[in-house]
Amino acid sequence: MPLWLNWVLAILTLVILLTIFIVSFVLYKKTPPPKGCEHLGQSEENCSKCDQHGCHLNLYYNGKKDEKKTEPVFDKDLENKENKK
Amino acid sequence: MSTAMTPYIVTFLLAILTGTLADNVILSRFYGICSFIGVGNKVKSAVSMGVAVSFVIILSSLICWPIYYFILTPLNIPFMDTLTYILVIASLVQVVGLFIKKYSPTLYKSFGIYLPLITTNCAVLGVVQSNTDTGISLGQSMGANFGMSMANAIGTSLGFVLVIFIFACIRERLEDADSPKPFRGVAIALVTAAIMAMAFMGLMGIGS
Amino acid sequence: MANEINLKREQHKESFVSGIIRQNPLFISVLGTCPALAVTKTLEASFGMGLLFTFVLVCSNVLISLLKKIIPEVIETPCYIVIIATFVTITKMFTNAFLPELYSTLGVFLSLLVVNCIVLGRAEAFANKNSVLDSLLDGLGNGIGYTLAICLIGLVREILGTGMLSIGKVFTFIPVYSLPILKAVDGSYDFSMSFFSNSAGGFIVLGLVLAVINAIEQHKKNKAKIALRNEMKKKLHEDDPKPVYQVKEAK
Repeated sequence: MPLWLNWVLAILTLVILLTIFIVSFVLYKKTPPPKGCEHLGQSEENCSKCDQHGCHLNLYYNGKKDEKKTEPVFDKDLENKENKK
Repeated sequence: MSTAMTPYIVTFLLAILTGTLADNVILSRFYGICSFIGVGNKVKSAVSMGVAVSFVIILSSLICWPIYYFILTPLNIPFMDTLTYILVIASLVQVVGLFIKKYSPTLYKSFGIYLPLITTNCAVLGVVQSNTDTGISLGQSMGANFGMSMANAIGTSLGFVLVIFIFACIRERLEDADSPKPFRGVAIALVTAAIMAMAFMGLMGIGS
Repeated sequence: MANEINLKREQHKESFVSGIIRQNPLFISVLGTCPALAVTKTLEASFGMGLLFTFVLVCSNVLISLLKKIIPEVIETPCYIVIIATFVTITKMFTNAFLPELYSTLGVFLSLLVVNCIVLGRAEAFANKNSVLDSLLDGLGNGIGYTLAICLIGLVREILGTGMLSIGKVFTFIPVYSLPILKAVDGSYDFSMSFFSNSAGGFIVLGLVLAVINAIEQHKKNKAKIALRNEMKKKLHEDDPKPVYQVKEAK
């Protein structure tokens, strides 16, 4: 098979696959979820309990999951440890 | 005719058994570790994720093996396999998700959130790539013909679901156990996985 | 003006350093564990994997950061996947040509860099919002951190598993040299445990290392907690009237 035909078919294959991917991706994003399921992944509690580290909704690796900065409570354990020392 | 087909069927079934137990995809070949470690401790959601992943593995190896041998090799571009496979897997996941969204709300409730995640699951790309990869030191790829690659895919999916199910059950118990403080979370899960791997190592040699 | 330059320098330094220790992608945010368990049977293979990982990460970060204004937001993810897959294919071809031993050792895991959580995560979280130099430094930092992490695991597994630390088997341009630690070259003493070269050994080593790092983090947090608490105690008692000591008269 002549070389130029080789190249054309190869590039055509890749372009077709890419088009299928992009079309299906956009269609998936645009279709609304069925009726009971709109807020499945959006609540923070649901997603922070799940440990899926690769999840794009997981707040941990998006860097937002910082420990809540509360006032330091006078921890009885720490006091006991200090007294023991 | 049935007696002539028997060796093939037996080889096929033995290959499935090997892929599930002896050469387990997670514990021995290390393909699906990212999702294995982050599986959480709810058994039902873990099993639905496992079923979704195995479905995608079977479908994508059904499509990708013919693409490699009938499209990529005649066109002399075998090096484009990685890009092609990931495009096929990703579009398959989106198409399956589209069908589930439109026609089956119950299925969407159980594993709808995990669907975009399956694209980046190491197990899917690993199995599909090892079916056609002749560069491994084994000398011959694991899927020399279509039957072997399908057996590889089915064995992998069964092994994946099995191990994820066992691991999710164990992690559910581990949460209430009194493990030492530095080990809580991922570390104790890994040590448990080591014990599981040792158990499965004892099944090596089945069906060779 | 000088303030702005200083701020930018701080930002560059921050994005480079944070990937190495403070937010190590393998140990702190447990990502990218597939290669960390599978290629770490020997130290050399894990070093090679870390090097290639750094290359792919830096290249994809730079390219995505260059194109961040052109890619429409709807099709972000497909574009990132295609860009990363291209760089992985380039890496595979170079490795197959120049370091064929490394290629056959790594096997499928070189192609699995396409779906590595770290590469995609960095692309989506950092490279499409920051400048080119920041993305380059961030990729470099994360890559170096990942390389150090898997080299540590590979070191432990190789020393305990085969007893000898050998170089030159994968990077064939270095002469082969084996350092006998637990096992002599001629076999006179052999204390190696081949358990660590198996899959189960990999799990245990990673689990123990993560536990050690957890313990170190907890220790640091406890120290910080105690220091903060002492400060608060001091502030509470600041306004008390100072006690007046009565000098006892010596008789």
